Amino acid sequence: MSWEKEVEELNRLKAMTAAMGGEAALERRRSSGRLNVRERIEKLVDADSFREVGALTGRPEFDEGGRVSNLAPGNLIFGRAKIDSRPVCVAGDDYSVVGSAGGATVPGKFAMCEKMANELRIPLVRLLESTGGNSRSLEQLGRTYIPQMEGWETVVENMGTIPVVALGLGPVAGIGAAKMVFSHYAVMVRERSHMFMAGPPLVARLGEVVTKEELGGAELQARAGGVDEVVDTEEEAFACAKRFLSYLPSSVYELAERTVPQDDPHRKDEWLIKAVPQERRRVYDMRRIIKSVFDSGSFMEMTQRYGASVITGLARLDGWPVAVMASDPYRYGGAWTAESNAKVERFVDFANTFHLPVVNLVDVPGFLIGRDAEMAGTIRSGARALSSVFQAKVPWCTVLVRKVFGVAGASHANHARYHYRFSWPSGDWGSIPVEGGVASAYRDEIAKAEDPDAMLSLIEARLNQVRSPFRAAMAFDCEDIIDPRETRPLLCEFANNVAKLREPGPVATALRP
Amino acid sequence: MSLKLIHSPIKALVWKVEVEAGQPIEEYDPLIILESMKTEIPVDSSLSGIVREVLVKEGDSVEENQPLVSIEAAL
Repeated sequence: MSWEKEVEELNRLKAMTAAMGGEAALERRRSSGRLNVRERIEKLVDADSFREVGALTGRPEFDEGGRVSNLAPGNLIFGRAKIDSRPVCVAGDDYSVVGSAGGATVPGKFAMCEKMANELRIPLVRLLESTGGNSRSLEQLGRTYIPQMEGWETVVENMGTIPVVALGLGPVAGIGAAKMVFSHYAVMVRERSHMFMAGPPLVARLGEVVTKEELGGAELQARAGGVDEVVDTEEEAFACAKRFLSYLPSSVYELAERTVPQDDPHRKDEWLIKAVPQERRRVYDMRRIIKSVFDSGSFMEMTQRYGASVITGLARLDGWPVAVMASDPYRYGGAWTAESNAKVERFVDFANTFHLPVVNLVDVPGFLIGRDAEMAGTIRSGARALSSVFQAKVPWCTVLVRKVFGVAGASHANHARYHYRFSWPSGDWGSIPVEGGVASAYRDEIAKAEDPDAMLSLIEARLNQVRSPFRAAMAFDCEDIIDPRETRPLLCEFANNVAKLREPGPVATALRP
Repeated sequence: MSLKLIHSPIKALVWKVEVEAGQPIEEYDPLIILESMKTEIPVDSSLSGIVREVLVKEGDSVEENQPLVSIEAAL
């Protein structure tokens, strides 16, 4: 006796779920230029690597003989696959199934998907497109229910266990929006994806009439820190996901792998010697410095539009993946705003969670000051950023490019650790800058002078004399002042020195979204 | 004819206005120099064209995303 018949039936049923929401629904997607969920998975993962879990799940209808006449698939497809030959878990919303709203949800599937990724310790990529809760389902259910987040104990745990990537490929509302931000890296497709807690009709009931683009467009969410990247096509979103994962270990129980170095670790760009203007008030291009000192073409910026005075991203040094933080003087002179603080906290916790050594290129005049900054709670968010820096156990290297002032400046590293630190000759530091602090510190002296302005200038000139970073270095306050062109060789040496110090395992301070 | 507004990237003081209405400009030309945290932050043009209107003056305080200059794009 063979089980041929049963296997035939199995294949017949699988073909029914593989048909997703049916030809008419799929054609609507095609004509609007959207991929369906199975096409998405195919484009994201290595060829023929997708192994679906729960391929039979759906709501069956039976004929008179008790045979399944139709099997309406659930709205979540997930399974194991490979990306760049490494195992991953991939989960995709099927929007062709009644808009992927709550009604077609198969209980337990989402939670099991999260658990699979967690227990197998493999990265998870969520392909999201769903409209969230739906009042129609209440009538079907015949009752209301107390909302509870099934499986979210694992979703929360995954933030400290495996890399999670969320791609917003269509509307992501309500719980879909939550699935977006419960990730280490979230990407939205411009004009295709809209993300909000509740959509325009609900918001209109509160008197706010807005389009979905105005309410939750990709640019808005990137600016609000809801997502880390905005792209124009689904294919670009898949490429972002792959690139992000290439810098990370499969889970916190492993270490990120070195790739074959593609760049000379001893390369010294001549331009670096003039990268920072002699005039302290002038800005310069920190991204060009980053590109110059890390492995050529390896810098992947994340979360660019949010908290923009701090640049964050991933890069490589002599092939070793590292986390990069840097100041952008074009934004508030590099001052830490409340948003920058939140960005730093999340980024440092992320780097620490996945054992990525941090390189910090510093030009921080302090926290942003003023009444608005006070109202934004800058000092408390700044204290949280400082806490993340002080709690991080990963190797840490600081390059003082220019300003280091105040509490925000002091947060460039944990002072209690060995100072793996270099300063450029443009280094300029203190509790507050000479330009701002003289008037109050020398108030009486200036007030009593015959010519207060001249006295102010005189005192400033006096203080500027002691401002040279060489004086601090002579007192060993700064360990090492370097020729800026030496930066890359020294950073590559750092990456090689500390590779063995990275320790796999979960950390005490895993990040919250 | 298309008009484009150049917005302030940050909340800041307008330190210098580098252009005036009617002036032809190239992409990347500095239009306005803002001041924030003792730093001069140039706001460059993202297109070539003619300055139609300067919407701020030196000493003004501007909010993030506030329009600074309108530019008529070159054909």
